[in-house]
Amino acid sequence: MKNLLLLVLSTFTLFAHSISAQDQGDRIIGIWEPSNGKARVKIEKIGTRYYGKIVWLKEPNDPETGKPKVDKNNSDANLQTVPLKGYRLLKDFNFKSGNEWDGGTIYDPENGSTYDCVITMKDNNTLDIRGFIGISAFGRTDVWKRLQTQKK
Amino acid sequence: MRNWLLLLVFVPGFLFAQPDSTAAAEDYSQYENLDFADEGAKRYCTSKVLDLSPQKLISVGFDFQGPYELEEAGKGKTNFDYSSGERLQFNIPVISKNSVIVQAGLNYAAQRYSGTADSKAVLGRNLLENGLTTIGLNLTVFKPLNEKRFLLFQGSSDLNGDYSFNKFLNLKFLKYSAALVYGWKMHERLMYGFGLSRTYRVGEMNYIPVFLYNYTAPNRKWGAEVLFPARAHYRRTFSSRSLLLLGYELEGQSYRMNIDGNFSYPNFGNPLTVVAPINGAELRRGELRIRAVFERSIKNFIWISAQAGFRYNYSFNVDEVPNGDFFRGFFGDQTYGMENFLGNTFYSMVSINLVSP
Repeated sequence: MKNLLLLVLSTFTLFAHSISAQDQGDRIIGIWEPSNGKARVKIEKIGTRYYGKIVWLKEPNDPETGKPKVDKNNSDANLQTVPLKGYRLLKDFNFKSGNEWDGGTIYDPENGSTYDCVITMKDNNTLDIRGFIGISAFGRTDVWKRLQTQKK
Repeated sequence: MRNWLLLLVFVPGFLFAQPDSTAAAEDYSQYENLDFADEGAKRYCTSKVLDLSPQKLISVGFDFQGPYELEEAGKGKTNFDYSSGERLQFNIPVISKNSVIVQAGLNYAAQRYSGTADSKAVLGRNLLENGLTTIGLNLTVFKPLNEKRFLLFQGSSDLNGDYSFNKFLNLKFLKYSAALVYGWKMHERLMYGFGLSRTYRVGEMNYIPVFLYNYTAPNRKWGAEVLFPARAHYRRTFSSRSLLLLGYELEGQSYRMNIDGNFSYPNFGNPLTVVAPINGAELRRGELRIRAVFERSIKNFIWISAQAGFRYNYSFNVDEVPNGDFFRGFFGDQTYGMENFLGNTFYSMVSINLVSP
């Protein structure tokens, strides 16, 4: 009975850690605006990883065609007709520890390039999104701000 | 009891599993009316317009100029078969935030000469023997003030001369250049600004106004990249991975030269010429490069840049500058220690570049 109690307690401890880490990681979930203000990105969790998709565009239609913008700069011709709204540009992020999510990539629809990416939460409403090539020194950081429903 | 244990082990997994929100069609209208969660948050303009030619983080290049001649004031003549040299650039983003971007850089440029010179052509002989070298550090700061207005600062310090790594030049001969621009980012395809610069692009120190203009047409097939008077280009965009620039660049520096001998004052061919030893020679090299530049991604972020054009000489004169430097501007009447004639020629340059995200 004593052993059983120990097992139950240690199991609970493990779950508590797991829940805590999960809560920490889930702080990133929400709607965010990149610095250029041209889009809004919803970061969500799918399975154990975090993803971000475009849910709003300041200029939703292509001025040339008048139709909703598509991913026309994608190097894969088959993907050049995929609508940008709903496009998943942040992929495969793992919550590392503290305030960092890593192991993911960010896609820039304006030039069709995908970069390695690490996300750092500076405070609850601010993310540093650093896209880089190979090593972090060769990169650029964009600061994203959290959005919320308008106060009435 | 075993069932309870099984329940304890597996239930949390179900409790915390996340539904796949992508499964259902999403109502995007819910994301239209949102505010910053942080009330103090501000929006800032960015430093680029759409489709601007890519910024180079690392660049390794080679410059080549065809045959031309140098005629020194009353001294002698040099025929250069060609001149060429390596060009290296490193640019590292130091601070990269919405509210400020700071980038530091290092550049190296060598110009080596091949040809024949008269025995009295002291400058030509020196160039054939030592060539010209530039090593410089630079700093660029982009400071957006709000969504529309920005400040741009560029500063550099360069060590230019006929030195080598074995026989380095004293750092007191560093040349400082800077430019400050106040600008407006009207939208994602247009930014412009006005400012002032201290520059050596025409060979000698000068203070001149500058005009920044970066534009991309609505169809995103063409645009303009201008930092007048330093450079101005028409840009033709073929795709997000290839483009062509047509225009010009002013290129120049003042080089500390270790030249022995007497020099004529004041001017080439002047009957009142006085001959005296020169005390501290500064070669004022300024040239206009009218060019076509083709840039293309060869693999992901590795780009090749190939340019060709005509190199037109603006200045290849020598000043006597014992210490520091002086300002002549466009209207100053100080005479040159040597007033030289340098022929014009065709040139080409190729570089491999790692470009910025």
